[in-house]
Amino acid sequence: MSNLTTVEAFGDGFVSALCPELMLFAGLLLLIIVPNIGKGTFRIPGTQIRLPWLMGGTRFKFTSDPRLPAWIASITLGGAFLNVLYVFSQGLERVVIVSESGKELLLINGFSRIFEMIFFGALALAAFSSMNRLQVKGTGSKVSEQELYNNRRQADFYILMVTCALGMSVVALAQDLFVLFIGLELASFSTYVLVAFLKESKVGVESGMKYFIVGSVASGVGLYGLSMLYLWAGSLQFSVLATAFAESGTTALPLIGIGFVLVGFGFKVSAAPFHFAAPDAYAGAISPVAGVLATASKAMGMLGLVRMLLIVAAPESSDGSAVWLGCLGAMAAITMTWGNLAALGSDNPKRMLAYSSVAHAGYMLAALTAVGAWNWDATVSGDAGAAAVAVMTALLFHLVVLVAFKLGAFLVLSILESEGGASRLSSLGGLAKREPLLAVAMFIFMISLAGVPPMAGFLSKLLVIMGIVRIAVGDMGAEIADGGVYVLADMHWVWWLALLMVINSAISVFYYLRVVVVMFFDEPEEGREGPLPSGWQVRLAILACVVTTLFVGIAGDALIRLCEMAAQSLNYSW
Amino acid sequence: MASTESAPLVHSEWMQFAPLIILLPMIAFAVILFLGRVFNGHPFWKKNLKEGGLIALPVMGASLILSLLLISEFLKGNSGVDQVFEQIAWINTGIWNGGSTTEPVSFGFGIYVDHVTVMLLFVASFLCLLINMFSIGYMNTDPINDNRNHRFYAEFVLFCAGMLGMVLADSFLWLFIFWEIMGLCSYLLIGFYYERPSAASAAKKAFLTTRIGDVFLMIGLVMLWDLFGSLDYAVVFATENIDAVAASSAGTLQWALGLMFIGAVGKSAQFPLHVWLPDAMEGPTPVSALIHAATMVNAGLYLVARMFPFFGAESLHGDLDDLAFIIASVGGITAVMAAAIAFVQMDLKKVLAYSTMSQLAYIFTGLGCAMYLANTLDWHHDSDAHYIVVVAFGAALFHLFNHAMAKGMLFMASGSVIHEVHHAHHHLHHHDDHGDGHDENHHDDDFDAQSMENMGGLASKMPITATAMLVGSASIMGLPLIGGFWSKEGIIANAWRVAQDDPRFLFPAMCVLLGAAMTGFYMSRMWFKTFAGKPNNEVAAHVGPTNIWIKTPLFILTFVTLSSIIFAGMGFTHWASDTEYSFLSEKNLLDGILYEMEHAFANSDPFFFILTYVAIFMGAVLGPGLAMALYGGKLAEGEEAKPWMRPVIALSAWANKRFHFDNTAIRESTLATALENRLYIDEYYDKAMVNIVAGFSNKVAEADTEVIDGTIKAIESGSQSLSTVVRSMTTGSARDYILMVAVGTLAIFLFIWGVA
Repeated sequence: MSNLTTVEAFGDGFVSALCPELMLFAGLLLLIIVPNIGKGTFRIPGTQIRLPWLMGGTRFKFTSDPRLPAWIASITLGGAFLNVLYVFSQGLERVVIVSESGKELLLINGFSRIFEMIFFGALALAAFSSMNRLQVKGTGSKVSEQELYNNRRQADFYILMVTCALGMSVVALAQDLFVLFIGLELASFSTYVLVAFLKESKVGVESGMKYFIVGSVASGVGLYGLSMLYLWAGSLQFSVLATAFAESGTTALPLIGIGFVLVGFGFKVSAAPFHFAAPDAYAGAISPVAGVLATASKAMGMLGLVRMLLIVAAPESSDGSAVWLGCLGAMAAITMTWGNLAALGSDNPKRMLAYSSVAHAGYMLAALTAVGAWNWDATVSGDAGAAAVAVMTALLFHLVVLVAFKLGAFLVLSILESEGGASRLSSLGGLAKREPLLAVAMFIFMISLAGVPPMAGFLSKLLVIMGIVRIAVGDMGAEIADGGVYVLADMHWVWWLALLMVINSAISVFYYLRVVVVMFFDEPEEGREGPLPSGWQVRLAILACVVTTLFVGIAGDALIRLCEMAAQSLNYSW
Repeated sequence: MASTESAPLVHSEWMQFAPLIILLPMIAFAVILFLGRVFNGHPFWKKNLKEGGLIALPVMGASLILSLLLISEFLKGNSGVDQVFEQIAWINTGIWNGGSTTEPVSFGFGIYVDHVTVMLLFVASFLCLLINMFSIGYMNTDPINDNRNHRFYAEFVLFCAGMLGMVLADSFLWLFIFWEIMGLCSYLLIGFYYERPSAASAAKKAFLTTRIGDVFLMIGLVMLWDLFGSLDYAVVFATENIDAVAASSAGTLQWALGLMFIGAVGKSAQFPLHVWLPDAMEGPTPVSALIHAATMVNAGLYLVARMFPFFGAESLHGDLDDLAFIIASVGGITAVMAAAIAFVQMDLKKVLAYSTMSQLAYIFTGLGCAMYLANTLDWHHDSDAHYIVVVAFGAALFHLFNHAMAKGMLFMASGSVIHEVHHAHHHLHHHDDHGDGHDENHHDDDFDAQSMENMGGLASKMPITATAMLVGSASIMGLPLIGGFWSKEGIIANAWRVAQDDPRFLFPAMCVLLGAAMTGFYMSRMWFKTFAGKPNNEVAAHVGPTNIWIKTPLFILTFVTLSSIIFAGMGFTHWASDTEYSFLSEKNLLDGILYEMEHAFANSDPFFFILTYVAIFMGAVLGPGLAMALYGGKLAEGEEAKPWMRPVIALSAWANKRFHFDNTAIRESTLATALENRLYIDEYYDKAMVNIVAGFSNKVAEADTEVIDGTIKAIESGSQSLSTVVRSMTTGSARDYILMVAVGTLAIFLFIWGVA
């Protein structure tokens, strides 16, 4: 791996290092300007002379095309995604961006790159597939189509998408609590508005409002935690905090600060008991936005947790029992069980997916707990970090592939939504007869979510469980090395999380397959017999998701290696 | 033979195409199935491609040519163990072994050629091609098969691929995989007329019965894996590995091989897993020829022959003789039992089915004896013993060859007879104005084209078929100089040779000798009832000659069977088992033939001299004589058989006139009834099934619904109600959500406070 390059903000190499972000920024400007280009003129005061200045007034045909903002946003996000992919293929570089006073602001390495990929990929898919969706009609709304064609609204939607991506990527890069918080709030506020975007529908506004209120509270608690950390260490720099933790991290103040940060990010990943607003938000938001919440937004929360817990507050004692470990483990167990149980009885497919995403958050928290549980004493565990890297790899892999099948499932629902709602399970009825290909795609997404081979979801779940067990077994390294007798009770307790994960997966199969049963064996609802509204963009996006789900499930090696690289680059800072 | 030292690989540029022998039919399977679906009923597909038949034919031809090239390459290389095609990795895996993973284990596919392979490869690819030809003449002319022949040809080629793959595979694992492919295809093909309940149940029976054997085979293979850590022939037959296993666990090895033998018993329809074979005649006749003469039943024999290196290993000397005895005895029992049942069968194909069982039993006895000899004699160092072992093993394999050729021919000939009788019946009752149209339906329901009651006197009407059948029967009976004579004499002689060493073997030895006479009887009975005498009814009188697709393979096989004396002269028995024996170098063809004849008819050992003539007398005089006396007779007035059949028919007419006796009493005896009911074995199995297995199944099903399903239902309803509780906490009010956040925050706060 290449050495760390230090670049001053706006100095040499700044542009090339932050290329994807700058692309987003440029796209943002375009989104604001281009749809406003029209025949507007400027009258020189006191005269009758009107100078054409092209802003406002009657729009040109091209600039008033409702699809234009969508195209700009999709191309921007897709371009940023490809840019990151290209950088990855060129081999990783590590760049740290510092302020004038020498404070580290942003760090670009494999770890942040892979999260950028997740964010840009998910948002690009969502933007691309909403292209013809927003033009049709909204959930339960009575507005005329013409009104929804309103160019301004279109532009707003996609501006929010891009700012969301920008905020998320700032979170991915942040090396400073302040920068982190700014990015987090930028992304959060965009999502709050996106959830409530369909102001004509009561559900949307209400759920957006709830999401905003609860999110604000969680953010407030998180911010409080951050300020406690600042109070304690006198700095907002990750590096300074990490050093401070290594020296005297077991005092109450920083630990409680970390605990409060856990609340803030816990809301983002929708971990119990901070998840309550999530199902409402998912159900109220339009499906592509819900898909973004379930994938990109969740990945952002996960990213924050990893940064805070593993970098700032890395396990400080050699017995591997970081103080926050118990908290996180309990949270993981409650979250996965709660999510699965709630999904079991859910009749609304979007709520069901929301709860399923709560359950997935539980799985990821379990993986994170396991990383924390790794016994760092090399004399005990042999290959230091290998198992931890494996779990981290699994976690990243899971977040990446989740974009394919979870977002894909939401996109299928979005087609149903544009036809007349997808808030009841029965609205999926007879999908196999109406749109066989869509039904097959949904089937693939469902069994991938359930973790059935050879889908990507199976591989990710397998890797997570394997990693956790490996850590639990590795904890007994000393006994094994001595050739002594080792029993189950000697294993680290994170092992139980793996077991709980298996049990929960078994439960989850029920509600995933129920969707399949309804699609393939039930009759369509009254008046919904024919094929669904067309729109090649969303179908193309679904196809991309299906292909990714299948391909990664069968030949996931390349992606796993990529994730491993990313996980290792994180290891550098540990 | 079975030399385990590593021989040089045969390096030849085109040998890399050897896997095509298997791959081509497999591809053809997909192609025929696909095209058949798409072009079903299309005139070009039906007329010009014979619904896939003419796609399958060149493919099987190509397989045969490639096989012949492989065989010739093998003969030129003249080496013992050859892995012509090196393994392609299939699965590589580490195996968890108490704390650490072992070396990665790789399961690959390769091709393994030795003398046994070569023999079976030729038999399978040659007969598959001929049967394919025959099928075109048989299947495509029967309107009942219209528009579904593509299914037949697709399954047919897949079946062939299974057999060829099994023969060529270089490990027991792949042998098992191809073995199961064959099992599947036999199920599909026997049940080809699935709309007939009898065919459907026959298919099920065949599948389930062989499956019983397969389970044991699989257990045996797992045990073998456990002993050797591999299933590759190259590993398990390596002398040092066998030595290692022999030192520690020879008994376990015998059990493993014994379990694998049960698999062979199922596949080759030996007692007590023989019940499926007669029922399997429900399939179309080419299927009978394919499955029950040429390929599937030989698979079991091949498996047993494959085990030979264990029996021949020096370090296992005398350790496996019990298993050899079991193999020989199962053969002995089946030989007599099947022959006895064949006495009373009226269905032409069923007679042949039982004859198959009986002849396979001969081969098993031969293999068992050869294995006993190899296991107990010091044949690695003593050249006399070596000769004995080689001849014994070779005789069994040679009988396999002879039987396959003859039985393939007999099935095709019987198919030709049935086909024509069926047509004649059809013609007579549907197109003739003077036909008794009023009871047409009655005839349709009752008429059985396979029953010998509806035949008789066909020798003049179907000359080629009758000739083929005559030669085939003679070969099966072992009439001197023809086909099976050489090999059957070899098997009987070897059984008695072993019986001299080990009195236990007197039982199989007696069985095969008795079986010779019985074979003579039932085969002759079949021929005379079908072809000699006067037509039994109006239908038989209207039978016409067959078409070219049917005639050609019959003609070829007649020639092969008749020329078996040449094979014998070439030292086929030696060659089939001993690669060190070069049949072209030692003596010329004429010398060889003279040597074989001298050996067969003028053995210097008085015991074997007498034995030979007893066997010849029983098989060639006593059995057929009895059959002639009962069933012989002149053809109808004005009918003229071909010159070579005339003496046979005349002789039978004379015997019938001179020695005919009333056999009603015998026919109505308890034994005959029992035989007609297949010795009630099927009934016993059914009873056992109903009383034991079904009862057990019911109990298990009950436990399943009550306990397992009950638990799952309880969990399901429990979690559903839990779900309601959990979801009721999502009230929809932001106030409550914030409350929950507060509760969570407080919990975290308290937790950390407590720890810190």
